[in-house]
Amino acid sequence: MDIGLDIFLQVMVWGLYAGCIYILLATGLNLIFGVMKVVNFAHGQLLMIGAYVTFSFFVLTGFNPYVLLAASIPILIVIGVSIERLCFRPILGTGKLNEIFISIGLIYILENVAAMIWSDEWKVIQSPFEAITVTIGSMKIPVDYLIIIVTTVVILVGLYLFLKKSRLGLAVRATSQNRKAAMLVGINVERMDMLSFGIGAGLAGAAGTLWVVSGQVFNPYMGSVPAVKAFAIVIIGGLGSIPGAIIGGLILGIAENFTVFTIGGAWKDAVAFLILIIVLIIKPTGLFGEEAE
Amino acid sequence: MLVQGDDESTREGGQKAVSRMITQDNVDMLVGGFSSAVVSAHQSIVAEHNVPYIITGASTPVITRRTDVNTSYMFHHAPTTDDSGSQTTLFIDNVIRPAINAKFGYPQDRPLKLAVLYQDSPYGKGHLEAIKNTIANNSLKINLVSQETFKMGESDFRTALTSIKSSDPDVVYVAAFLNEQIPIETQAMRDVDLKKIFIAIEPNDDPDFYKGVGKYGEYSIIQSRFSPYTVPKGPTEAAYKKFVTDFDKKFGGFPGMMGVATYEGVYIGAKAVENAGTANKTAVKEAIANLQMPQIVEAMQGQAISFSKDFRESKFDLTMEQLVWDPTVNETRPKIVSPANLKESDFVLPDWYVPAKA
Repeated sequence: MDIGLDIFLQVMVWGLYAGCIYILLATGLNLIFGVMKVVNFAHGQLLMIGAYVTFSFFVLTGFNPYVLLAASIPILIVIGVSIERLCFRPILGTGKLNEIFISIGLIYILENVAAMIWSDEWKVIQSPFEAITVTIGSMKIPVDYLIIIVTTVVILVGLYLFLKKSRLGLAVRATSQNRKAAMLVGINVERMDMLSFGIGAGLAGAAGTLWVVSGQVFNPYMGSVPAVKAFAIVIIGGLGSIPGAIIGGLILGIAENFTVFTIGGAWKDAVAFLILIIVLIIKPTGLFGEEAE
Repeated sequence: MLVQGDDESTREGGQKAVSRMITQDNVDMLVGGFSSAVVSAHQSIVAEHNVPYIITGASTPVITRRTDVNTSYMFHHAPTTDDSGSQTTLFIDNVIRPAINAKFGYPQDRPLKLAVLYQDSPYGKGHLEAIKNTIANNSLKINLVSQETFKMGESDFRTALTSIKSSDPDVVYVAAFLNEQIPIETQAMRDVDLKKIFIAIEPNDDPDFYKGVGKYGEYSIIQSRFSPYTVPKGPTEAAYKKFVTDFDKKFGGFPGMMGVATYEGVYIGAKAVENAGTANKTAVKEAIANLQMPQIVEAMQGQAISFSKDFRESKFDLTMEQLVWDPTVNETRPKIVSPANLKESDFVLPDWYVPAKA
């Protein structure tokens, strides 16, 4: 297939956009896993709730949906903290099977609650900037996608600064690296669990808002596919590695879109697992994963 | 007595519901079945128990043409992808192609470049096959320049649309469901700047489509069998209006094409039982096979409901509508542009339309 530079760049932009959503989702998932060693299968449903929170505030207030990140992130943090306190903390350490079934149960509960509140009809809203495009060469890129990419970068830089420069972030990292040692030096690891779950959910909420702003349709059952992709990214990048989630998300977003362009859309979902298999064969711990102790 | 079963829009859900209705509720007849994939999965259960089944939702013709399952008790009361795809392709050749060639000064015999974006399912593949067969069987001057596919439930079509744009088509034919059609048209116009005529297929003619697609749907074409916003003139007009009004009074909202087809399916079943004089399954099956009854709400070919002898399919009169912006409701509304006897207005090529290079 003959791919001109314009087309190549256009597909690259779509890949970066998809990568942004995946990165936010996978980073949150990885943060939760890194600290709590819990795999939250209901993480995609948190994205879905983020989308509905944005939708509801948009309909009620008419605010710019980007501004509504200020609503979706805190609300999802509160929801995440509640889920950690009510669902995961009581069963932490009682066996992986309990964690798995709790999170699978959460998928159905969150989907049904969302369907009850917002109905199961597909919803869509449009960004106030939908008519604005930026011309790069002979390519027109809607400004929304540039805002989404920049917003993701800002959120990730914020997360990086929090984890690297703040005492609380240091405590989160310490808990992630060695839970027992963290406890021995006086870190309240349960508070770190709560914090990491809250931040992870907040990132999913941000992904939900950006999903909505880009004009994507959504309904209560839309979270599962992005969640599966996020899990693949977590494994590709390395369990617990945030840089791994970022690189994995970019790789997957771009690879998926070039797959659609060259082979066809039927292969889009398969490519995630093809990459996953290749990475695991070459480096079983993932791109940035470390050997287990 | 009415027994209800929810297929949960899944193959497994359909199998469970049909098994329960046949083996526990001992139903004499089944009416309904949405989605070709879901219906295909439970047909063997129906065949095993020889229960007359009036299928009002699935659109693939394979439903009553497959040979691995005995489908002799199954009757297809929905436009098939063959019917739908054929009519739409002929419309493209008869109406859109001449309009493009005339407006842009192209030779009359210039072939139209058609791109197809279809769901990777029996429904989508059925449309693609119908398009190809119609072009071949009628020697139409249509060149397929792009065939892009997507998984059911996909919401990001930007790259597929970019690929279509690079193939430089005149028209984009989309075989998708409502939740896919809305982002396809939106992303094509908004994100990919694909200024082409888009064609949607009849399951999309629903109030949610007009609401969701907004101004991006303007001038696109939608094939219809039962529209929420325009009533074809003719013998079914009064029944059509009455059904919509009665449904709204009783249940609130618009019934949709699934609602009307299933409503008709119940009447077809009742008429067959009346003709048979018994609820015996074999007798009812024979009665449906030999049925001749006046059309009810939807316009049927020959103004009557009957099932073909070969594949037990009823034949619908479908309309082609073009979406026109209505500032009073801030949404588009459909105008029938084909067939000629029902036409409300002529097909229009918008000023922003960019044809493929000659």
